[in-house]
Amino acid sequence: MTTATATTPARADPTPGGLLLRVANLHKTYRLGRVDVPVLHGVDLTLGRGEWVAILGASGSGKSTLLHLIGGLDRPDRARNGRARAQIEFRGRDMVNCSQAELNGFRCADVGFVFQFYHLLPELSVTDNVLLGTMIKHGRWGFMGQRADLRARAHKLLDAFGLGHRLRHRPAELSGGERQRVAIARALMNDPSLLLADEPTGNLDRKTGAAILEVLAGIRAERGQTMLMVTHDPEIAARADRVVHLVDGRVVRPSDG
Amino acid sequence: MGTVPAVYHALLTRRYLTSKVMPLLASLAVVLCTAMVLITWSVMGGFLNNLTQAGRSLIGDVRIAWPNVGFAHYDELIGMLEADPSVEAAAPIIETFGMLTLLENRTEGVLIRGIDGGSFSRVTDYPGTLWWRPLDEPMPKDGGGDDLRLADENRLLLQRIYEDGLRLRELDPVTGRPESAIVLGVEVGGWNVRTDWGGYYPRVQHLATPEGGSELMNKFMPGSGELSLLVVPIDSQGRPLEPQTAKLPVANEFESGLYDIDRQTVLMDLPALQKMLRMHAAKRVVRGQEGAGSAFEGFFDGEGEVAPAQTVEDPARVTSVIVRMADPDGDLLAFRDRCHEIYAEFAVAHAGEVPSGSVIGIETWEDANRMMIEAVKKETGLVLMIFTFISFTAVFLVFAIFWAMISEKTKDIGILRALGASRLGVAWVWLRYGLAIGVVGSVLGGVLAWAIVTNINEIHEGIYTTGKWLGTHLAGREWNWYIWDPKVYVFKEIPHKIEPWKAAIVLVGGLVSCLVGALWPAARAARMHPVKALRFE
Repeated sequence: MTTATATTPARADPTPGGLLLRVANLHKTYRLGRVDVPVLHGVDLTLGRGEWVAILGASGSGKSTLLHLIGGLDRPDRARNGRARAQIEFRGRDMVNCSQAELNGFRCADVGFVFQFYHLLPELSVTDNVLLGTMIKHGRWGFMGQRADLRARAHKLLDAFGLGHRLRHRPAELSGGERQRVAIARALMNDPSLLLADEPTGNLDRKTGAAILEVLAGIRAERGQTMLMVTHDPEIAARADRVVHLVDGRVVRPSDG
Repeated sequence: MGTVPAVYHALLTRRYLTSKVMPLLASLAVVLCTAMVLITWSVMGGFLNNLTQAGRSLIGDVRIAWPNVGFAHYDELIGMLEADPSVEAAAPIIETFGMLTLLENRTEGVLIRGIDGGSFSRVTDYPGTLWWRPLDEPMPKDGGGDDLRLADENRLLLQRIYEDGLRLRELDPVTGRPESAIVLGVEVGGWNVRTDWGGYYPRVQHLATPEGGSELMNKFMPGSGELSLLVVPIDSQGRPLEPQTAKLPVANEFESGLYDIDRQTVLMDLPALQKMLRMHAAKRVVRGQEGAGSAFEGFFDGEGEVAPAQTVEDPARVTSVIVRMADPDGDLLAFRDRCHEIYAEFAVAHAGEVPSGSVIGIETWEDANRMMIEAVKKETGLVLMIFTFISFTAVFLVFAIFWAMISEKTKDIGILRALGASRLGVAWVWLRYGLAIGVVGSVLGGVLAWAIVTNINEIHEGIYTTGKWLGTHLAGREWNWYIWDPKVYVFKEIPHKIEPWKAAIVLVGGLVSCLVGALWPAARAARMHPVKALRFE
């Protein structure tokens, strides 16, 4: 078993603000027809508060799967054949055995996702896309009660990302970089403890990708946002505080690779 | 998180509804299905309503009947009935069968109703059914004002014929004295030709003469013609007596709105029919004791002499008394029961002379027309069932559209789940969406149905006029696109009646159909794995 501490040399203390996330013995197998396809083979990982960690790996190495498991979109394999039980602890809370409703709440309040393909709802305006997570979090009356404040916050975020003039636009009317900035604003709307970014620059040209990275770095600098970013690009990964190498579903030391 | 309902449900419903063509098509399908069922139900309901009202127009609300033999002291019963506050009026009638000899010796079996014009008019809408009377306004479809009854030169004659019809009397041209007359159903004689606009004009025809030639005859019978009527009297014991024949002038003709009644009913002056049927008040001489155990009991006195003859007065009899409610919208069954109570009192007062309260037949107009009403109700039910079945296509349409949309929106579902929406929350997006399509479709369908039903006759006229114009210009002859042809149907215009409870059922049905159609796709959306949904291409 390999741990995250055995990755590239850390630039600083990996958990300077305390531990936010601890992942241990994470296995995940997908079933394709009659064939079991193991993706993760016992991943261990820790993430400190305010830390920016990049998970670097080739396509198919299990990076996105790891992100989905951490974000509560999927569940790890159950313990079997003497294998130790998978653990995902978020602020000390066991996220493996929690209920579906608790996972929904976790995704809503504690996690912000940024996807490679932006995943904005095409029928909604930029503002409504950004507000979507708050609508889900607060429910009808909660949202209506603080509608003006939430809208102002969304506009402020979008303004900060240079999208103040695009509030009423639909995603189809935006460039790739703008869409990704909208997606980042949406991910930050509920003020999550953890931002999970899955190849956030993977669908952008180099220049736009660099700009998005600047945005993420800015968030990190201004808000001390904890970020876990998946990428296959070592240059992008190098912007993070720490890089975890994932090869064939296992975290490896650079020398192992 | 993702509680139901949330703002995002409303937002997505609105956006999906307004940004896609498919849901609009689904809404349109619901609009058409809702409107179709509601229009059908309204027209069939209106037809049933007209039919029953027509059936009610000549029999009042309740009928107290003892067929064939009839019962006596009916004036007293009518007095008791009319003294009750729930009763507006009551009238005696006789119903019997007879043979009517028409022109050229054509003989028809008819239902004869002996009525007293005055009291009958108070219980029924008899004056309104008399066909030959002066008219001030043309009938709805008589655009050209072709109705003979509108002509000023006919007014005087028609007024006299109308009054004759009300009284069922006509002045004898020789003696100048009023004599009993008959009023025929407008279809009985066969001499009236039905016009395109649903009216009648008397047929003019060549009739064969005994000399082998022919003569032109105007077959307008009221006021001039005379027909022969044959009836078979039955005595108070129910035994048939010698058939009676009478030649009677035709005072007028009536149109009740029911073809069966108009085709085979003849109205006649009550006293004249009572006389023909031996049901009038009469004295007779009897020996012995009526109702004794032996036919000869009391025939001889104590000394063996023949007992002296006695004169017995037999009161007049009728077969029915018809009664009208004071409150037209009152409880018909309660009214029937009240009539029954009054009759029971009457029967006790005349025990042995009239049928007892337990055997007398007392029925409402609905009971009397049950066969006809039930038949139309069944037809309405059948047509509704067929149309409702057809409307189920909307369910499948919504299902198919939602299924396709959920496939298209798989990624959106993944995004919602990633943002914390629950399975129920995702399902509710689609159920609410189905509900919205149902609301839009049902409400618009209701409005469309209302607009069509309330203007159905104008629309019908428009179709007819268009057919005429197109036919003339395209085929050189008029195309008859009359669907509800007044020449065929008794009611001149398409009947219709929108009832709020029916509209509510149809609208709720539209909503439920959409919800049912959306149910399975919504469950599919809820079951989607968020990761698979996000990775969906």
